[in-house]
Amino acid sequence: MRKKIILFILLGWLLLVIGDRVDELRVYQGAQIAMYTIALASIVLLTGYSGQVSLGNGAMMAVGGYAAALTLNNLGSPVWFAFLMAIFFSALFGALLGTAAARLSGPYLAGTTLALAVGLPAIANQFSFLGGEPGIFFDVGLPPQRLGQEFTQYKWFFWIATLIALLALFITSNILQSRFGRTWRAIRSNPLATELSGIHSSQMKILAFTISSALAGLAGAVLAMTISLVAPGAYTLTLSFALVTGAVLAGVSSLPGVVLGALILVAIPEIADALANRLGGGENVSSYLPGLIVSILLILSVIFTPNGPGENLHRHHRKKA
Amino acid sequence: MQKLLETLLIGVSTGSIYALMSLALVLVWRSTRVVNFAQAGQAMLSTYFGYEIASRSEIFWLGLAAAIIAGALVGAGVDFFFMRVLFKRAISGPAAVVAPVIATLGLLGLIRSIVGLTWGGEFKSIQAPASKDGLTIGQTTIPFSALNILIIATVSLILITLAIIFQRTNLGLSLRASAYAPEIAQLAGIRTARTRTIGWAIAGGVGAVAGMLVTSYNFLSPYSLDLLLVFGFIAAVIGGLESMVGSVIGALVLGIGLTFILNYVGTSLVFIGGFVVLIVVLLVKPDGIMARGKARRA
Repeated sequence: MRKKIILFILLGWLLLVIGDRVDELRVYQGAQIAMYTIALASIVLLTGYSGQVSLGNGAMMAVGGYAAALTLNNLGSPVWFAFLMAIFFSALFGALLGTAAARLSGPYLAGTTLALAVGLPAIANQFSFLGGEPGIFFDVGLPPQRLGQEFTQYKWFFWIATLIALLALFITSNILQSRFGRTWRAIRSNPLATELSGIHSSQMKILAFTISSALAGLAGAVLAMTISLVAPGAYTLTLSFALVTGAVLAGVSSLPGVVLGALILVAIPEIADALANRLGGGENVSSYLPGLIVSILLILSVIFTPNGPGENLHRHHRKKA
Repeated sequence: MQKLLETLLIGVSTGSIYALMSLALVLVWRSTRVVNFAQAGQAMLSTYFGYEIASRSEIFWLGLAAAIIAGALVGAGVDFFFMRVLFKRAISGPAAVVAPVIATLGLLGLIRSIVGLTWGGEFKSIQAPASKDGLTIGQTTIPFSALNILIIATVSLILITLAIIFQRTNLGLSLRASAYAPEIAQLAGIRTARTRTIGWAIAGGVGAVAGMLVTSYNFLSPYSLDLLLVFGFIAAVIGGLESMVGSVIGALVLGIGLTFILNYVGTSLVFIGGFVVLIVVLLVKPDGIMARGKARRA
């Protein structure tokens, strides 16, 4: 436990040092990676551990984003409180949804959450206090004066996002190593045997849904911070699909993998852009090439290493032992 | 009173298109135990083929025929080149539950990008085979158009054809048998793998019709059929995901229900309305409206 704390602090220090060395765009992408890391952790916890497939994480992120923005704008509260409210409301929402979801499995759950991902962000268009299609502002403010004049807004985003991501990962990894993590894995691999051992599997599934939603909501608030806005257009079905993709590419049951997944999600559009420039294609190429690369990677990884790139390595180790 | 009637009529027309998509999903689910999220992509790809033919020949029905053929070929191809490979690798471990869902999602993304690279993202429209203007009865004009009537007629024709295929032909019998008990069907001499591919082809053709009909009064883009997929899925679940009749009834109920929300509550709530209907059905009658006694809740 103490080793882990030291490790995380070292990691955070390293990231901040790197953040000082690279240009603005990379700093901003760093904040995006941190955001995806949190969002992917929520999928790993839900799908990789408790075995529930959710395509609705974009909707959960929307709940968090709107909760944070409404808190900050209407109560004039400090920023950290807005993030706490994002966690609280999305967890509450997740618990409600989890109660229904615990009775579903496989494709039913996937389809239900898909319907949610389509429906929830559209609600914002109906109620004026949610700002409609253009959304509402979410401004965490300028970086504090004492950090110096050269400290840019993006670097401030990066610091906040990285701090939140590290905290979230630390807490999540502890939860996954605890009794709960073990129970979820047990439910996933053999629900009947788990029930017979006296475990309320539906309660545990609801708990997984709640924690996962809280993480997604937190990621949603961080996303809102990086674009200074919450709007239905930020939490699309495409985002939900991208999250599932990232989680699968990185190995759906490995928590450290989420960093890799987040990196892939941020890097692929950039790689595709570079490719599109070289190929000299028009607008079509640059807007659809990322999707093509991601889909091909996704299909190949489902067919060849469904449990993530780490799987073959593990098998290799086991054979040796 | 008039508004009520209008809503009902439009609801039936909308619901009948959902019915085709939900039938396609049910057909695949029954034979393969996979909810095919790529169905929207397959329908979209076939609709683009239909669009090419329809805009060149300026005959909608020729485009529809082309779309059906393309849909059937794409459907069979997906099963033959993709699903068979996927199922040959018996997937174990944490991803086993997720794999089919992810695989079809990946396929949806793949088809979407290919379509986007080929045709671009701009909206395309197909000349509708009938007028979109509301019918005039006596003095009043209602939003229900000749096109709506044609949609309902086309869907009815397809449903009747499918019913005949499934109930009256040998092919239909083997399709039903391999869906109901694949091993026994195989022992009885049915080539289940081939039957399954035929099932996917039929589903692909039916989905293509849904795509063409939606496009006839809307537009076509790489994203334009996503909502159809979601509503088709909801309709299929209302019907229990197993029953073809159930899925059609579910689609009509959903179509009418959503049109009521659209006309009486608010435009933006239609989407979440679908979700609410889904949750209520799953909590109250998880096996669908057609379930008799206790069925499996897969």
